[in-house]
Amino acid sequence: MKHLLYEITHSTEYQYLGTVSVSHHLLRLAPRQSSRQRCLSHELVIDPLPAVISSHSDYFGNESHFITVETPHHELIITSRSEVAVQPSFVPDASETPSWESVRAWCRSDRSGHVLEAHEFTYASPLVPTGAEFGRYAFESFIAGRPILEAVLDLTRRIHTDFKFDPTATTVTTPVAEVFRQRRGVCQDFAQFQLACLRSLGLPARYVSGYLETDPPPGQTKLRGVDASHAWVSFFCPGMGWIDVDPTNNCITSLRHLTIGWGRDYADVCPVRGVLMGGQNQLLKVSVDVVAQGPVPLDAEE
Amino acid sequence: MLRSMTENLAVKPTSPSENLFERYQTSKGVYDEFRAENEEPRPHWGRFTESLKRLGRHELASRWENGRRILREHGVTYNIYGDPQGMDRPWGLDLVPLLMAPEDWKRVEAGLAQRVQLLNLVLGDIYGGGQRLLRDGFIPPELVYSNPGFLRPCRGIRASHDVYLHLLACDLARNARGQWWVLSDRTQAPSGAGYALENRSVLSRILPEEISQENVHRLAGFFRAQRDMLFELAPEGRENPAVVLLTPGPHNETYFEHAYLARHLGFPLVEGADLTVRDRRVFLKTLDGLQAVDVILRRVDDSYCDPLELRSNSFLGVPGLVEATRAGNVTLANTLGTGLMESPVFLAFLPGLAKHLLGEELILPSVATWWCGQSRELRYVLEHLDELIIKPAFGHGSGHTRVSERLTSEERILLIEAIRSRPREFVAQERVVLSRAPVWSEGHFESRAVLLRAYVANGGERQAVLPGGLTRVSRSAEDPIVSMQSGSGSKDTWVIDQDTDLKPEFMSASVEPRSIDGRLSGVPSRAADNLYWLGRYTERLEQTLRILRCFMGRLSDEISARGSPEFLALIDLTAGMGLVPSSMRDQFDRTELHQLVLNRVYKPEMPGSVRELLGRIRFIASTVRDRFSGDTWRILGRLELDSRSRPGRLPLANALTVIQNLILDLAAFNGMEMENMTRGHGWRFLDVGRRVERGQSIVQLVRVAVGLRGVGVSALEPVLEIADSLMTYRRRYFAEPRLPGILELLLCDKSNPRGLAFQVDSLEEHVAALPGAPDGGSSDGSVSHWHFERLRHWIQEIDRLRLAPVGDGIDSERLIGHLDSCAVELAAISDTLTGRFFSHTVPRMS
Repeated sequence: MKHLLYEITHSTEYQYLGTVSVSHHLLRLAPRQSSRQRCLSHELVIDPLPAVISSHSDYFGNESHFITVETPHHELIITSRSEVAVQPSFVPDASETPSWESVRAWCRSDRSGHVLEAHEFTYASPLVPTGAEFGRYAFESFIAGRPILEAVLDLTRRIHTDFKFDPTATTVTTPVAEVFRQRRGVCQDFAQFQLACLRSLGLPARYVSGYLETDPPPGQTKLRGVDASHAWVSFFCPGMGWIDVDPTNNCITSLRHLTIGWGRDYADVCPVRGVLMGGQNQLLKVSVDVVAQGPVPLDAEE
Repeated sequence: MLRSMTENLAVKPTSPSENLFERYQTSKGVYDEFRAENEEPRPHWGRFTESLKRLGRHELASRWENGRRILREHGVTYNIYGDPQGMDRPWGLDLVPLLMAPEDWKRVEAGLAQRVQLLNLVLGDIYGGGQRLLRDGFIPPELVYSNPGFLRPCRGIRASHDVYLHLLACDLARNARGQWWVLSDRTQAPSGAGYALENRSVLSRILPEEISQENVHRLAGFFRAQRDMLFELAPEGRENPAVVLLTPGPHNETYFEHAYLARHLGFPLVEGADLTVRDRRVFLKTLDGLQAVDVILRRVDDSYCDPLELRSNSFLGVPGLVEATRAGNVTLANTLGTGLMESPVFLAFLPGLAKHLLGEELILPSVATWWCGQSRELRYVLEHLDELIIKPAFGHGSGHTRVSERLTSEERILLIEAIRSRPREFVAQERVVLSRAPVWSEGHFESRAVLLRAYVANGGERQAVLPGGLTRVSRSAEDPIVSMQSGSGSKDTWVIDQDTDLKPEFMSASVEPRSIDGRLSGVPSRAADNLYWLGRYTERLEQTLRILRCFMGRLSDEISARGSPEFLALIDLTAGMGLVPSSMRDQFDRTELHQLVLNRVYKPEMPGSVRELLGRIRFIASTVRDRFSGDTWRILGRLELDSRSRPGRLPLANALTVIQNLILDLAAFNGMEMENMTRGHGWRFLDVGRRVERGQSIVQLVRVAVGLRGVGVSALEPVLEIADSLMTYRRRYFAEPRLPGILELLLCDKSNPRGLAFQVDSLEEHVAALPGAPDGGSSDGSVSHWHFERLRHWIQEIDRLRLAPVGDGIDSERLIGHLDSCAVELAAISDTLTGRFFSHTVPRMS
């Protein structure tokens, strides 16, 4: 099976006011292996050099790195470089997926392996509330007996239509209820709103953090650093597994969607989280480059 | 032997007028701890009741007073949030303990040991194991996955020796049939064992004979066992591990207890800011550098322990702590995430879990609990709503508990609606009528509701139960609710042993504090910082008191007659020291002046007033109270102007008395600290603070005095009085005070402990003895000897001016210039020291 190969460079640059004597950061920057994606290489370049880099697989199975910089510093640059190969994922025929009610019932009663894991994603989480107001919005798409993929795609389409992409309208701390009220926001807001809708119906859905390859405007060459971190939604359907949809772009995820990891909401998979001793954040610059390298032949994996 | 002795004691009959129990009511359907159904004391209360009668009302009242005095002296407090009395409400302790019969206690003991093992197994499966209990249906997944107490970053971290729950506290109540029930579990950082210990130490002083007569089980063994277990739970391969007690700090409601336990167990008391994670290990920041920490006994709640991986807005924790536990480099007791089991919802599943995991029934049943997330239970709850109490399934503590009976019909409908729409979020519990016991109140015994908090320590292989615990009583005879936060009182709890001889273990008398563990001998930088400010504030207080005494003493004198030059000079002096506005000189109004001065003493919101300074001193002292001996602490405890003291009818005279007493208490504190504190870095910082403050205030005082020249010699007398050097002056010069003499005595004389030269020499000695720059501080900031050289130079220059007067006197312009130079150097020394050693702390008002 042919894969499409990408090179990803994600750099995060902090400048501090005052001297930071020690800083600890938790990074979730390593692209995750999955049925549709293989991470061929990943390296972190950190300046100043940390005294400690240790990695562990977090609660959701994402690789995370704990770093400690112990020399006094005024800035910190974290560059993550990866090579990722993706292939098209299997997407079932929407009309043949089970009814959404049966998915809900299944997830409530089955306590074996994958379903129990999925069960965890039916609850509210720190950034994704559940409630009747989200349920009411969702019900328009979730009519009785409707196959779940059809219903989810309809919900995705409606969010795409009803909500306006507006980076000035929200910040990382804007609550989902506020996003719902003003119907504006960015990918993270739309994803978390869709999660609130699905979980309010009792359906398991998780937040996916990743990248999206973008095209330059017609006739222009692509500039460096213009790509961005992206976020979308993945929902569970017993027997078919997790299916990813992107409410920002109204689609099932494509070969241009590259996954870093997943969790209940943004807070679980925040790419860089840190605590400083002394000093304070003054400036943050993030740049992402996703460059397609063309198809590569890879052995089919288990 | 002891038994036969007591039998031989003659019992003085109590006169009928002395019926101590005439107000003691027993009510139907309630278990009475003290009285049996036949109105007689229960057998295990018999001998003790006789003792109470023998002692009689008068003696009991005096012993109770004595007990309250001891508590005050020990400074035992409990902070009530939102209380106008604010910090440090005195601890309420009853004269009479709760007596537990040995056979009753055996059951409680076995029940607690079983319970801690059970909860530990559950936590092990959820955090460290395969969550089989969820897969196999013994715990509905919601209980974990939708529980805010489930800390995902801690999943997969296996506890050292598989001990997740090292200390468990249970709130126990006795039902009408006399059985003990568990009302709730405290699993993350249980409080109260230290108060139980303090209660015992008070009762063993006011009822010593009764304690030994009843063969009361001692508490010391439990704390010894807890300490040993903590050592054993240290990460693999750490011989002689270093243990600290982590507190959220003096604002916490049970801070007194943290300091008390730290001293008793011999562990340093630290706050989050005292610790740092390097190389995935935890270290204590001390003046001598970083010292490794192996075990943390924590009193900080789960989610506040690490801002990096848990609650990011917490300032109480240690960034990187979760990673250090993940690496297996530090043991937390209890481990992070144990708060999960405090959710009342687990009570409904414990019987099944006990059977499954231990093959046993619960020895101590929990209060009947129904989780509304199950359809049968939900139906039952809605049908029996009025007999039950409703709680949030995943909350902890008693917050938001609702008793349907006390709701309006509208509230009731809303509650039912909420339960129906979100059943998973609610549990219902049987309403427990608490048992009752006698409480001493105004010369009588009253019956009050009681609740027992019992403690069990778990070392994996073995468990130790605190024989006794913290008994809490309701506020009044009518009130059936017991809660420390609502201001209830407490009782000591005696597990008595009437029949057996004293076991050797009971003989060990130690309730005495241990010395701090040798492995962590360094002074935490924060403690040094606080000691430094304690030195400064006590000195500042003393200076303020002396100025006020001097001023107020003369206010009533004849010199206060309007416009007398001496009095105007006195106002100039006091204004120069910043205690009254200088406008007072021109628009002198006696009443206004009196009021102003009284405000300087009593007004808490006036910066620099006596009361405000006392508040600061008390707060700072409380942050380092584990560094002072009991006696020193007692003296510090006396340093107060309690909120009730008012100027009264003779305002000036009363205020003067208050001031006199405070000056004497301060002298006692200084003496105590000079004689009792070891000359470590901690003491040095206390003294550095004092020297810096005293140096600065002398310079200011002399600067003001220079301006008073020409007013007449009597104007300079107060200057010497404030500097406590009047007698020395008179002895040395046999003359009225004059400026040259004052300059010599207060600035140049190296032998005057109140003089500037003396402060400079002491400071230099301290600075030379301080360690190298600790980690985290700026490395370029050692105090240069040039500061001291320059200070000595300016003092010499002043001496020269003094000896070579120009014209009719001293060149005051140059003198003031020199004085200002001295002040600059002192400030620079203070800045360098604070910058170098305390750079991690927030700026503090100076």
